[in-house]
Amino acid sequence: MVNFTVDEIRGLMDKKKNIRNMSVIAHVDHGKSTLTDSLVSKAGIIAGAKAGETRFTDTRKDEQERCITIKSTAISMYFEVEDKDLVFITHPDQGEKGEKGFLINLIDSPGHVDFSSEVTAALRVTDGALVVVDCVSGVCVQTETVLRQAIAERIKPILFMNKMDRALLELQLDSEELYQTFQRIVENVNVIIATYNDDGGPMGEVRVDPSKGSVGFGSGLHGWAFTLKQFSEMYSEKFKIEVVKLMNRLWGENFFNGKTKKWSKQKDADNKRSFCMYVLDPIYKVFDAIMNYKKEEIPTLLEKLGIVLKHEDKDKDGKQLLKVVMRTWLPAGEALLQMIAIHLPSPVVAQKYRMEMLYEGPHDDEAAVAVKNCDPNGPLMMYISKMVPTSDKGRFYAFGRVFSGKVATGQKARIMGPNYVVGKKEDLYEKAIQRTILMMGRYVEAIEDVPSGNICGLVGVDQFLVKTGTITTFKDAHNMKVMKFSVSPVVRVAVEPKNPADLPKLVEGLKRLAKSDPMVQCIIEESGEHIIAGAGELHLEICLKDLEEDHACIPLKKSDPVVSYRETVNEESTMMCLSKSPNKHNRLFMKACPMPDGLAEDIDNGDVSSKGDFKVRARYLAEKYDYDVTEARKIWCFGPDGTGPNFIIDCTKGVQYLNEIKDSVVAGFQWASKEGVLSDENMRGVRFNIYDVALHADAIHRGGGQIIPTTRRVLYAAAITAGPRLMEPVYLCEIQCPEVAVGGIYGVLNRRRGHVFEESQVAGTPMFVVKAYLPVNESFGFTADLRSNTGGQAFPQCVFDHWQVLPGDPFEPSSKPFTIVQDTRKRKGLKEGLPDLQQYLDKL
Amino acid sequence: MRVVGLISGGKDSCFNLMKCVENGHEIVALANIYPETEDKDELDSFMFQTVGHMGIEMIAKAMELPLFRRKTKGQTTQTSNDYSLKKESKEEEVEDLYELLKTIKSEIDYEGVSVGAILSNYQNNRVGNVCSRLNLTPLAFLWERDQSELLNEMIESDIDAILIKVAALGLVPEKHLGKTLKEMEPYLTKMKDKFGLNVCGEGGEYETFTLNCPLFKKRISVIESKMVIVSEDNVCSVGYLNFVKMELLDKE
Repeated sequence: MVNFTVDEIRGLMDKKKNIRNMSVIAHVDHGKSTLTDSLVSKAGIIAGAKAGETRFTDTRKDEQERCITIKSTAISMYFEVEDKDLVFITHPDQGEKGEKGFLINLIDSPGHVDFSSEVTAALRVTDGALVVVDCVSGVCVQTETVLRQAIAERIKPILFMNKMDRALLELQLDSEELYQTFQRIVENVNVIIATYNDDGGPMGEVRVDPSKGSVGFGSGLHGWAFTLKQFSEMYSEKFKIEVVKLMNRLWGENFFNGKTKKWSKQKDADNKRSFCMYVLDPIYKVFDAIMNYKKEEIPTLLEKLGIVLKHEDKDKDGKQLLKVVMRTWLPAGEALLQMIAIHLPSPVVAQKYRMEMLYEGPHDDEAAVAVKNCDPNGPLMMYISKMVPTSDKGRFYAFGRVFSGKVATGQKARIMGPNYVVGKKEDLYEKAIQRTILMMGRYVEAIEDVPSGNICGLVGVDQFLVKTGTITTFKDAHNMKVMKFSVSPVVRVAVEPKNPADLPKLVEGLKRLAKSDPMVQCIIEESGEHIIAGAGELHLEICLKDLEEDHACIPLKKSDPVVSYRETVNEESTMMCLSKSPNKHNRLFMKACPMPDGLAEDIDNGDVSSKGDFKVRARYLAEKYDYDVTEARKIWCFGPDGTGPNFIIDCTKGVQYLNEIKDSVVAGFQWASKEGVLSDENMRGVRFNIYDVALHADAIHRGGGQIIPTTRRVLYAAAITAGPRLMEPVYLCEIQCPEVAVGGIYGVLNRRRGHVFEESQVAGTPMFVVKAYLPVNESFGFTADLRSNTGGQAFPQCVFDHWQVLPGDPFEPSSKPFTIVQDTRKRKGLKEGLPDLQQYLDKL
Repeated sequence: MRVVGLISGGKDSCFNLMKCVENGHEIVALANIYPETEDKDELDSFMFQTVGHMGIEMIAKAMELPLFRRKTKGQTTQTSNDYSLKKESKEEEVEDLYELLKTIKSEIDYEGVSVGAILSNYQNNRVGNVCSRLNLTPLAFLWERDQSELLNEMIESDIDAILIKVAALGLVPEKHLGKTLKEMEPYLTKMKDKFGLNVCGEGGEYETFTLNCPLFKKRISVIESKMVIVSEDNVCSVGYLNFVKMELLDKE
């Protein structure tokens, strides 16, 4: 029973002011998918009665079984907003005049941190986010992570307090306590928003406010929800106050005295908080009457609230009746739809301020202007944010957002991968789009073309893109910015087929796996080992399962998980390092030294980056890190991959031909910073200084073949002489549990080199939250260990937080870093032992 | 023109001699500079390829031509592209070349010098300097030719040469020493695309020794050779082949 057709949707696609692209984001188990069902049921795809149980957007069998979302799923829905609600949409770009129909493209994303790359991909193609918070657990670590990401991508949030049924039925909070809980969550969310968004910034004020209607309350599981707007409408006539004004009175420090009929800003003996009195009390009464089987009260109460039950529902009682009553009274889909239509931006509004964050090219070229205006007649600019597997094995739909122009079946377009640079041919294909499709949960529908402001899938592009990319018809278009993930692939396993003859299938399977997941990395080591790197244990578990069952379809042998390390240095090189080129006619002189604390993180975050004005960057480095301005202006490049947290600075004075070898030095540096000298792991936080070079006068003698290896060798020598160290990844781990279990948590953390830095009670609940740093290497089996030591009461969420230097000299055979270096080298098929300085250093 | 061929033993010097003959010149003698001490095969000279010096006499025999040789200390006082005679140039390796060509002039009558330089201005300028001082004409038919094209032409012209020294990213002594040009051509082209390698080895990437070419009356066969690794590391090893025993065989 689908109550809209593809044609209706296509019609709406042109009314870009009536489009809302949104994602649903939250901490794991806060009820996103369940809540999403309410919306889908409103759109009529699933029967209303089943909403809350189907998890429509969990399309995979394992998602349904585990009750956890693994992949983000998109659906397009069509709603009509009533006339009385249309007046709340005031911004001229938020709706076409007289048009009731709204097209909502919704992406349900996973809440478990291990899958947050899926969230990143979802955020990129949407403009608004419904942030779901379980009002019993409050704001959790992943709520903060996704919210921070949303703000950074300029995604406007609205808030939904979920699981109110639990607050009433299980915790039995009284109405004032519940209000306080809500108030605290709103505050917590707004603190996070305020930290990452500037009110004076291009997005304006984005904080959520119940009295504006941008905060919803309810229960996704039971299918009911409301905002203050609904209640205000109920009482507006009674009080003779306008709906908007009344909404303000129904939240915060507003008290009403029933006897004197007076409003007050202060609590006194006779008055009561308006939110409790007019919003919570009626709900409490319904709960009380139904759950305590006060049969005689129910009909009067229903009549008072204007609820008419269907005939077949009248015989129900207890929880079943409660659901029906609440759902009839306060249908969740309606409240959510209003929040989305009124408070989330249309693509027209959003793309105005998002363009500068999305586009790498000049902000006034044809593509930039078209994106900014969401112009369907401009050149096509589309960002592909992920690949979605099709029923056809090994093939994928390229999923993304059209920011300008139109994408159409059969259209010829430029397909640009992340390594494409304007004017070059690398990572660029000019091909026809085989088909454009609409993604609807478990189904896809073919569609002729899709104009700007919409989300859709493409067939036939998957062969040309690895994971993401830009699709355009504008020949001078630059790339759209690549997404930055909040998690890193720090855990890795090695796989091999049980039957060696299956190797080709494994290789093919790994290629498909790499495509199907936004973040997973599939690497082949020099030893020939196949490595899969992911965010955490669960992520890898799912990847391995997919690989075995869907992508490769062969039995696999898997190694134990290991973590990635980083190589750094802890002092300046003790000597000037010299390396000669293979033909002995060129010499490079360099030193390495550690970056000051915080700089590597600044580079990770993009506060210091290879892009942007070098003078601004130099000033920043000078002010914050005491760098010499002249030197800071001469950063040649960042690495690895041109953006990593290491750089090379030209500290030479008047050297001939220096610029001619720059490209080769950069290439050598990228290589060396990617494959460090100790164990081929990435370098981190290392600054290299070039002090002098002596070059052969003849250009032919100083080509890449000579300079690239020399650069690598001298960088290695510089690193070895600068006190090399290993860094290990550390999780921020948040554990929720009842007080009795806290002791058990400490025991487990101590055994695993973890340390607690915060412990607090979740206000209004008996739950405790313990926050700790835990080395990723110690995290394998942590969840199971924790559960067995706390009688199953503690549940951890681990998210990668930072890199930490492992104490000890890797050149000291009794140290832990030494052992790790040896293990890593062995695994990678490198020569065992330590790198020999003499191999890299030359004599004058 | 009567021509003396400057030979290092490598493919370029031999191919240039072939070009001289093609253009109607007559080769009257061969000239070669070799390292001062016998235990030092590798000079890392800016000017001369010295690795194959043990095989030079074999080449002269194979071509049935008189050979003139001179030791060099392999010193360099001027590293710029241009060269001019100065006081301190006495010890300069370029002056060894001057002395050698002068000696030959006193014994044989000739007007031209065959030089296998392709792209190295450094080498070309120095040979030019020496020749003009002796009133000789340098003949460099390979000068500024396209390297890929040239390499292909050499292989087509039946120059049978093997790699005897490698010193560049992507070239591995254990893997590539002793390989013929024909075997190496596809790989060299790949490395050119990847790292900008000069496929003819003009940047000192590799050096060759010619075992046979149409000018040879007999062909050379290596019976025994020794691999010497100059520097070993996981980035880019440098190594060369040392000939221990070789013989001349009749051409089929």
